[in-house]
Amino acid sequence: MDSSALTRFEAAVLPHLDAAYTLARYLTRNAHDAEDVVQDACLRALKYFDSFRGEEGTSARAWLLAIVRNTAYTWRRRRGGAALATEFDETQHSPVEVDDRPDKELLARALDRLAPEFREVIVLREIEGLSYKEIGDVAGVPVGTVMSRLSRARARLQEALRETERP
Amino acid sequence: MKRSGRDMTHPGFEAQLDAYLDGELAAGDAHELEAHIAQCPECARFRDGRLELRAAISARTPAFQAPDALRERVRAALRTETRGRAPRRLGWQGVWRPLALAASLVVVALGSWNLALERAAGRALADDVLASHIRSLMPGHLTDVLSSDQHTVKPWFNGRLDFSPPVYDFAAQGYPLLGGRLDYVDGRTVAALAYGRRKHLINVFLWPVARRPSGAPTTRDRQGYHLLHWTTTDYTYWVVSDLGREELHDFARLVQQVDSPQPAAR
Repeated sequence: MDSSALTRFEAAVLPHLDAAYTLARYLTRNAHDAEDVVQDACLRALKYFDSFRGEEGTSARAWLLAIVRNTAYTWRRRRGGAALATEFDETQHSPVEVDDRPDKELLARALDRLAPEFREVIVLREIEGLSYKEIGDVAGVPVGTVMSRLSRARARLQEALRETERP
Repeated sequence: MKRSGRDMTHPGFEAQLDAYLDGELAAGDAHELEAHIAQCPECARFRDGRLELRAAISARTPAFQAPDALRERVRAALRTETRGRAPRRLGWQGVWRPLALAASLVVVALGSWNLALERAAGRALADDVLASHIRSLMPGHLTDVLSSDQHTVKPWFNGRLDFSPPVYDFAAQGYPLLGGRLDYVDGRTVAALAYGRRKHLINVFLWPVARRPSGAPTTRDRQGYHLLHWTTTDYTYWVVSDLGREELHDFARLVQQVDSPQPAAR
C-alpha cells in the first residue's frame, strides 16, 4: 500500500477511533485490553480496506466497529472459556474506583453484566447512536434480531436497576 | 392498534414500542402506536420507563475517548505495516501478552552519532525507534530466536547480519535475556535483543558505527516512553521504555559496562 492509500485509510478510519475504543472498552471491560483490541482491529481494517471501499451502503464507522467487534470476540476466545464463563460473576470484576454517585456504578455494572450480544446492541444504539440497520451490519444479524435484542437488553437493564433500588 | 393488556407485555410488542421510541418504525405504524399509547396507561408507563432508562444511560454510561497514546500507537503501527516491514514471527504469544501488558523497555542501537546530534534527524530517528518498539509489542513480533541463552542468541545473528552484535544476559541483575530478532531502523537491518524486567519488556536493537563514544546517554520522553541514546566506539544505542527512568538508566549502565571497552560513563 502506498502512502496516499494510507492517507485515505487514516482519513476514513481514524475519525472513528473514539467510537472503536468505546465499543472495545464495553466489550472487554478493561482499558488495556481495549487498546490492544483497537490497535489489532485497525491493522485488520487496513488489510481489508480494499474490500470496504468496494462495498456500498456501509458507513466507515459501522465497518470499523464490525471489525472491532470481531476482534474483541476473537480476543475473548483466545482467553479461553474463562471470559465467557464469568460473564455473570460479579466477583470476577476488578474492584472499581469509588464513585461519588453510587448509582452510576450500578448502571455501568448492570451493563457490564449483560451477555455480550445484549451489551453490544445497547452500546451501539445508546452510546454510538447507530441505526438498527448499522447495528445489524456490525453484529452480523438481521434488523429484526437487532430490534428484539435491544428490547430484551433494555428490559434486563430496567430489571437490574429496579432490583438495586429495593431497600 | 388493538392489543389486550396481556399482549402489551409480549416481547414482540415491547420491541415495537422500542423501535418506535428509536425512530425506527415506519410512519404509518408509528402513528398507530402513538394513538394507542395516548389512550393506554400501561403502554404510556412502559414508554416512560424506557425514556427514563435512556436518560440514565446517556447520563451515566460514558462514551470513551481513545487515549492519545493509543492514537499514536495505531498511527505508528499503520505506518510500520504500510512500509511492508515484516520481521519473521515466532510463537511468543504465550509469554508475550502478560509482559506486554505492563509495557516495555527497548534498547536500540542505530544510526550515526552525527545524525543524532542533529535535532531534526534525531527526532525522526526517535520516531523510527519508537515505531519499532511499538511494533515489537504486537503478538509474535518480539523475537525471531527465543532463548535466554546468550550463546544461542549470539550465533543466531551470524550470517543474518554483517556484524556480530554483543549479546549478554542480565538475569542476575533482574533483566533476563528473552531472545533476539532482526529489525529495520533508519534504512538498514539492525540487531534487536529482547529483555525482561519484572512484567516489562526489553528490546535491544543495535548496529555498528565507528564514531566517537558519547559517554552518558541522552534522554528523550515521548508518548509515555523514555528513550535513551548513546554510542560506544563500535555501536550506537537507543533505549526505549515506559519503565521508570532510574531503572532504565541502571539497565543502560549494565549494557554499557559489558559492551564497551571503555569504563561506563556513569
